[in-house]
Amino acid sequence: MTHARPVLAWPLSIRLLVLAIVTVLVLIIAIRLGAVSMSTSALFEAVAGRGDPTTVTIIRQLRLPRALQAALVGGALAIAGATFQALLRNPLAEPYTLGVSSGAAAGAVLTVVTGWSIRTVWALPAAAFAGGAVAMLLVFRIAFSVGGSRSLDTRVLLLAGVVVSAFLIAIVWLVLTFADTDSVRSAIFWMLGSNAGASWRSVGILFVCFVPALVILCSLARPLNLLSIGEPTAAYLGTSVEKTKLVAFGTATLITAASVSVSGTIGFVGLIIPHAIRLVWGSDHRGLLPCSALAGAAFLVAADTLARYVAGANELPIGIVTALIGVPCFVWLLRRPGTQ
Amino acid sequence: MFVRASRRSIQVIATVASLVVACSGEPRAAARTPVAATGAIVVVDDAGDTLRLAAPAKRVISLIPSATETIIALGALDRIVGRTRYDVAKEVDNLPSVGGGLDPSTEAIVALHPDVVIGWDNDKRRAIRTKLATLNIPVFSLRTEDTTDIFHGIASLGKILGRDSAAAALASSIRGTIDSVRRAVAGRPTRSVMFVIYPEPPTTAGPHTFIDELIGVAGGRSVFSDSHDLWPTVSMEEVLKRQPDLLIVPQGEFKANAVDQFRARSGWRDLEAVREGHIATVSADLTQRPGANIGEAARALQAAIHPETSSTKAK
Repeated sequence: MTHARPVLAWPLSIRLLVLAIVTVLVLIIAIRLGAVSMSTSALFEAVAGRGDPTTVTIIRQLRLPRALQAALVGGALAIAGATFQALLRNPLAEPYTLGVSSGAAAGAVLTVVTGWSIRTVWALPAAAFAGGAVAMLLVFRIAFSVGGSRSLDTRVLLLAGVVVSAFLIAIVWLVLTFADTDSVRSAIFWMLGSNAGASWRSVGILFVCFVPALVILCSLARPLNLLSIGEPTAAYLGTSVEKTKLVAFGTATLITAASVSVSGTIGFVGLIIPHAIRLVWGSDHRGLLPCSALAGAAFLVAADTLARYVAGANELPIGIVTALIGVPCFVWLLRRPGTQ
Repeated sequence: MFVRASRRSIQVIATVASLVVACSGEPRAAARTPVAATGAIVVVDDAGDTLRLAAPAKRVISLIPSATETIIALGALDRIVGRTRYDVAKEVDNLPSVGGGLDPSTEAIVALHPDVVIGWDNDKRRAIRTKLATLNIPVFSLRTEDTTDIFHGIASLGKILGRDSAAAALASSIRGTIDSVRRAVAGRPTRSVMFVIYPEPPTTAGPHTFIDELIGVAGGRSVFSDSHDLWPTVSMEEVLKRQPDLLIVPQGEFKANAVDQFRARSGWRDLEAVREGHIATVSADLTQRPGANIGEAARALQAAIHPETSSTKAK
């Protein structure tokens, strides 16, 4: 964990206000840009349902749900990443560390290969979510059985996550090795991650998962602060360590699974955004979690917009964009004078 | 590596796979269309979905390059309002692109107001069809794996465009070409061939593909005709064991001298056909586009397999 001294000592309310304004601006830009670009005023007209019917359809049925889904996925992955980094006390921890993405991929690939995804529209996201949840349960089961008691050793948990993930990915590739070309291609498209399939339904489901998750994790901000120092310290200072770990791990994992089920695996956001916020504003989780949520949302909306806009109608895989713009920004933050 | 592999397979499939054409029920054209003025068109696509149109489609986007070419061959170029980045037909160069055939920009499609989108039936997630359906843009799915699919697709496109007689004429002209190839090689010994889609890993055309069928028409037999896959990836050992007389290589994949390319590759260079220079190239555009030009593809394969019977020289 980077325990960097905050570089900017802004009050939390100012930080949140600034990030919220940035997020809204990015959303507006995202909804303006596309195959049919438009002015901000035309945009609000279209959102209200006035103007050219094609534009209205594009804005209301395609761009708005897509931008909102990217925002929710970005926010969800960022708070999940911040939580995992605190609980595992490992700077490399990210939302997928405990095998959620591999479990989701296994679920998704099975529906593709069996043809279930062709017959039932919601089969793939449902199976991806279920796969992610099952992977999490498996990882916890292993961690508890090794611990031999009711306590959860986070080092064991980390290792269990890595091996379960490796195992599930092996299953995915085993299945794909024997699958037909169409299934392989469909599965790979899904695994690359994209928000192209966004709909109001997916936005609604994500929203319903995201808001309670944000509230729960923010309410655990103080125990997370203590846990990120060390479990004995946290217990000594009055944290119910095991309960906090279970609730926080569970919440962060489920919100990750929900994100993966609608957008596939989008890397980098959950790893880098919390670190970036820590570098700028310090690692107090009371500020880190809500700031990460907003920054993650703005970052992923921006990345998604670039992915679908820069190459005309040809869409870039979003994971490429998040890494290509995220890494230089992050390195710049790391190298800034005053860091460390 | 991962992405490259998938791109390549996309291209291969794009060349070989199927079509979907969907039509929307827009009543506006009905009164103006003198042909089949009774109007309504009902066609079942290759995914089993029924497409209903009040009148022949006036605005069409084809996500499948071979279907685009078939539509042009049916004399309906003016109905095409968009293209994909994989289209090679020069006639559609100036049209706006909607991106890839498998991952098109929904926005770009909506902006072009198509009556129907012709799409691949092999998207296992049905992502495009589902998305467009919610926007009231029908998708018509076509398979184009074997020649039966291709003739069926030509007929379906004819119906959708209200050009049934053009479709019938096109089909019979293709059948005529294929029959002439069959007659030209009649009595010749059947040569064992391997159609090399790419050499690493060795990938070929399996049975039930139009390429395999056309190789049969042109007097050849694929050494991998027992495969269970449409486009099987096979081991180099298996290629060496089966010793095809002749390798057929779609040109475009290997621009340089194909013989030298194969002689430089371990495994391949030990193949008798390679040592003796029995490698024929055919135009990738002809043999990988399962549409209106499969008659020409049969001729090209005839020139490759039995050059002595062919007036056109193998390239």
